[in-house]
Amino acid sequence: MSILILGLFLFVLNLIIGSVSISWNDFSKAVFEAEDSTFRSIIIDYRLPQAITALLAGIGLSVSGLLMQTLFRNPLADPSILGISSGASLGVALVVLLGGSALAGLSWWSTMGISMAAFIGAFLVLLLILSLSSRLNSMVSLILVGIMIAYIAGSVTDVLKFMGQKDDVHAFVVWGLGSFSSIGKAQLPFLGIVVAVGVVAAFLLSKTLNLLLLGQRYAENLGLNIRRSSMFVILVSGLLTAVVTAFCGPIAFLGLAVPHIARFLFKTSDHRLLLPATALIGMDLALFCNLIARLPGFDGNLPINSVTALIGAPVVLAVIFKSQKTIK
Amino acid sequence: MNEVIKTQNLSIGYNGKPLMADINVSLNAGDIVALAGPNGAGKTTLFKTLTASIKPVSGEVSLMGRNLSDYSATERASMFSLVLTDKPDDMFLKVFDIVAAGRYPYMGLLARLKDKDREIVMQSLDTVGITELAERNFISLSDGEKQKVMIAKALAQDTPIIFMDEPAAFLDYPSKIELIHLMKRLSREQGKTILFSSHDLELLLRYSDQMWLVAPKKSLKVGSPKELVDNGIIDKYFPPISAKELFSPIL
Repeated sequence: MSILILGLFLFVLNLIIGSVSISWNDFSKAVFEAEDSTFRSIIIDYRLPQAITALLAGIGLSVSGLLMQTLFRNPLADPSILGISSGASLGVALVVLLGGSALAGLSWWSTMGISMAAFIGAFLVLLLILSLSSRLNSMVSLILVGIMIAYIAGSVTDVLKFMGQKDDVHAFVVWGLGSFSSIGKAQLPFLGIVVAVGVVAAFLLSKTLNLLLLGQRYAENLGLNIRRSSMFVILVSGLLTAVVTAFCGPIAFLGLAVPHIARFLFKTSDHRLLLPATALIGMDLALFCNLIARLPGFDGNLPINSVTALIGAPVVLAVIFKSQKTIK
Repeated sequence: MNEVIKTQNLSIGYNGKPLMADINVSLNAGDIVALAGPNGAGKTTLFKTLTASIKPVSGEVSLMGRNLSDYSATERASMFSLVLTDKPDDMFLKVFDIVAAGRYPYMGLLARLKDKDREIVMQSLDTVGITELAERNFISLSDGEKQKVMIAKALAQDTPIIFMDEPAAFLDYPSKIELIHLMKRLSREQGKTILFSSHDLELLLRYSDQMWLVAPKKSLKVGSPKELVDNGIIDKYFPPISAKELFSPIL
């Protein structure tokens, strides 16, 4: 509950604090009395979509990370482990580095094109992984296949980067740093719907996830079809990663760290509790990171990727050390 | 019907290559049967075949008179439960939650525990004598306690048959004795049929009703411990180690 309230508080702060400082009075006038002002347009057209994007991305990536960690029973698994975000990067590299100068003039097309390219790249890798997963017997093989796909996509991306124009490479690198602000109001509903569907689907997989924690053979004995269930888990996690990466770039760390924070705070591995907890903590952390990234004085937005780990890692460390005493 | 499991000309192995052939055995209701033999003889393979984890190379396994492969995964879940050597290792998995997973085959999509399920979980914990561990984290328990949790899970699963793979492998001597008494109690009081594998000869001879003996390149032999000792078969499957061998230095 307190996590939800904290989330709400952070959300409002996200609307108020920024490089243009808005007083509480101006804020309430702009929002509640619908007074037409620059403040209103800053809040509604700029900060609101950004805050909503941060919130959705935080939820999506954290839930996606939790699914991967449970499926592979590996605390180091994260949304990028199956190569899905590398697929997104490759898609973007192809568009930006090969077609960059052609797209440069059309700014709407270029943001939309980049999102499309990222989504298609991620989705193709997801399909590849799904089709391969039906042929693989062990989770270890699957994780290795994912990592190999990530390496291949990474190398091709590197080659493209090496051959690209200087400006295009810069644009690509900036995309790779992650951002919650490159998404327009028009695309927001799409991100919202996919994340919502993904999170509900993940919640419906709670029983499956709880069984997977016991290990494959126990899960199988308790009536679980391992192959079909892992495909569902990969599909849901992959879709969440694909859509968030498409709109925000490859955002690291949240997906890895948030499930751990949720586990240590709630001391549970029952996904019926862990999953909502992870989603809400992911939301809070993403909103907080977004706030830090555009604190006044930073002159515009810091790249999200440089903030997530900087803020998130100490949080994870603190939570782990605090609970060392209480475990057992 | 007395035979809960029966195999006919069963041949087992991986990728179509038979490891052991012509297996004709049956498991009678309420018996404690030991699957015995040295490591590498095919105990685990037979286990996996009987629990439908892998398919037979040829021949068939029937469970309660019906072909095992005709059962759905959910149907199997209410016929037999497993106690394995590999244990869950998640950091926050609670004892109660593991035992409650035994009720999953009987629950809907959201796995909501009803009062009756909760009661069965507590009863199962009570039967193996670990009620006080219910809220503990599984990974903080001793090997003996972990074993009991997994047995409680099998009890909560409420199946007529329980398969135990090397249940005594990591236990100290008193825990082994305790385990055996528990197994006896489950078979006598609750009518459970138990098939367990082991390479611990003393345990096998003293506590099983019947033994299935396996060894590499030998056919499976069935008999009571006494029969197998009297006709000398056991010595062929468990060759005694000579004192000379024991004494020779390890290079």
